[in-house]
Amino acid sequence: MTGPAIRVQDLEFSYGDLKAVKGVSFDVHPGEILGFLGPNGAGKSTTIKMLTGQLTPKGGSAQVLGIDIAADDPEMQAQIGVCFEEKNLYLNMSAKENLDFFASLYGIKDPDSIEVLRRVGLAERAKDRVSEFSKGMRQRMMISRSFINKPKVLFLDEPTDGLDPVTSAQIRRTIKEEADRGAAVLLTTHDMFEADELSDRIAFINEGKIVALDSAENLKLKYGTRSVKVRLRDGDGVREEHIELDKETSSAQLAELVASPDLMTIHTEEATLENIFIELTGRGLKE
Amino acid sequence: MTSTVSRASILKALLKKELLAYSRDKLYLFLTILSLVFMVGIFWVLPDSVEETISLGVSPPVQSIVDDATDTLRAMGATDEQLAAIDATDLTQTEEGLEFVEFEDEDQMSAVIKGTLELWRTESGEQIFRDPEGDEDKPKDADRIKLDIGIAFPDDFIVDVAAKADDITVNVYSDAGVPEEIQGAMRSFVREAAYQFAGQELPVDMPDENAIVLGQDRAGDQVSLRDKLRPMLAFMVLLIESMAMASLISVEVLQRTATAVLVTPVKLVDFLTAKTIFGTGLALSQGLIVLVLVGAFTPENWAILFVTMLIGSVMFTGEAMIVGAAGKDFLGQLFYSMLFTVPLIIPTFSVLFPGSAAVWVQVIPTYPVIDTLVGVTVYGESWAESWQSLLYATAWLVVLYGAGLFTLKRKVETL
Repeated sequence: MTGPAIRVQDLEFSYGDLKAVKGVSFDVHPGEILGFLGPNGAGKSTTIKMLTGQLTPKGGSAQVLGIDIAADDPEMQAQIGVCFEEKNLYLNMSAKENLDFFASLYGIKDPDSIEVLRRVGLAERAKDRVSEFSKGMRQRMMISRSFINKPKVLFLDEPTDGLDPVTSAQIRRTIKEEADRGAAVLLTTHDMFEADELSDRIAFINEGKIVALDSAENLKLKYGTRSVKVRLRDGDGVREEHIELDKETSSAQLAELVASPDLMTIHTEEATLENIFIELTGRGLKE
Repeated sequence: MTSTVSRASILKALLKKELLAYSRDKLYLFLTILSLVFMVGIFWVLPDSVEETISLGVSPPVQSIVDDATDTLRAMGATDEQLAAIDATDLTQTEEGLEFVEFEDEDQMSAVIKGTLELWRTESGEQIFRDPEGDEDKPKDADRIKLDIGIAFPDDFIVDVAAKADDITVNVYSDAGVPEEIQGAMRSFVREAAYQFAGQELPVDMPDENAIVLGQDRAGDQVSLRDKLRPMLAFMVLLIESMAMASLISVEVLQRTATAVLVTPVKLVDFLTAKTIFGTGLALSQGLIVLVLVGAFTPENWAILFVTMLIGSVMFTGEAMIVGAAGKDFLGQLFYSMLFTVPLIIPTFSVLFPGSAAVWVQVIPTYPVIDTLVGVTVYGESWAESWQSLLYATAWLVVLYGAGLFTLKRKVETL
């Protein structure tokens, strides 16, 4: 298909009187990873629930693979993969049985579940019941289940939340592979490093609204300041200086410091996504 | 991956998963096997006949009471006709369902009732007494007579009755386990005996039939406890399987696996259909197995039994959906199970105590199901006698299953 795999226009949802999503709009293209970055309760999961058919939008519209989400079309469901924040696996079934079952729901006759499990490092445990798995293993199972049908669109809700760095890195690698295969990935997270590392573009979402949407680099350029941090010997101690690079005097000041025998280190300073989020919303990502 | 997976394939996959999940639930698998073995075992262990005769001890023997009284009564001026009438009085022939065991000695009779002395009777009618604490072996070719109640007449009973004495004492011995009703009946029997010995008629008009039996007269052909339990056992299996189904649904709801399934090509209607088919199939198959193993099926009744069990199975699947959706955890599920199960089980008691079903019991959804099962398996009722109950059961099925579908649908939609 040509055009975006996900197109969202003014999507709205409310739980009773509480407006959880207030008219968000964005596109995700095939092979692109869009990171939805925001604190808990910002509206990230609600947006995914609407796009995957778990909730009916109260306003706006959205198409996944050109199919209106309001149509409740199994054809759309057949081409998406969802990784939930909750680890909703069949605990009394083995890893392979879980994948085989979900594959059968997509009409896949001979699923290569072992190969899928190998990609997330669980092939050795294919016959073990999921109830015996650790939290990290269950999360890897969740990821593997989401792409058992080789989906064109992947919805990943906090896929590495609460995991150790090694497991997180493995999951991120797998997500990258799926995007490289051509899947459009919508990823929600409140981890700025994950969003920065994985996402082609990042949407900052706060209180149900997208407050910024661009690549991480552009966001940093747009909302951050270009500066360097210089450390110098100062008698028996160390002195730090911050030099903004966009001032007229910056070049001369920098040249002078470089020539100084007291110079110890020079580091570039760029705004983190968290800094930018705080600047835009007045609140942190972990709140 | 294919985007054109058929509804039939989806249903097949869901049912396969249900079976797998059920087979992995060790508790309910154990309960299922146990209940099948236990229910069928209990059936075959229970007696298949009803002991309709009550053994009644009498001391001293009736004829000796009459013989002893003859001379005294003659001396008191009794005519030959009166004496002949008393002599002709044979209490042992007057009561249907009573077997008289005569004792020469009152203490011996009370000891037998108390259980400190055993009474055995040979085929020729010889009575043998045995001390259960003694070294004596049990008599061969003799049956033990169990006695729960006995009447000891005083020596001058007939004479005192004839003389209309004011204070005649008759001792009625009874085991502590004898119901008050039976003891009352024995007191009435003593009064009747007194009337007969006095040569008087009872001041009550009795119709020829002695008692008017409403419905089928099963005198001499009473339904045994085994036969009464037959429909109840099948019903209990339905109940146990509904709890297993509720547990499966509950797990699916609590672990939110239902949500994972519903973001695939599976539609909510597929999900609910699979639950219905599996729940009904699970309960029905095992209910039928029990009925087969207890010999309930006949060429005449198999179709009615199948339909009745099918209605019961769907009904219990509806109940399982409500319970499974309502419980927020294991304890919650247990609470809702009890809340629904206890009322639904009440009609089964009408099997054990026929005629005792109050109007409010008949309003319970499971009543028409158990009523039909009893009618068909115990009394051999046909479609003609069962259709009204089945219609009533179907109406309840629609209500209970509809409520179950609605509850589970709402729950899954709001997960």
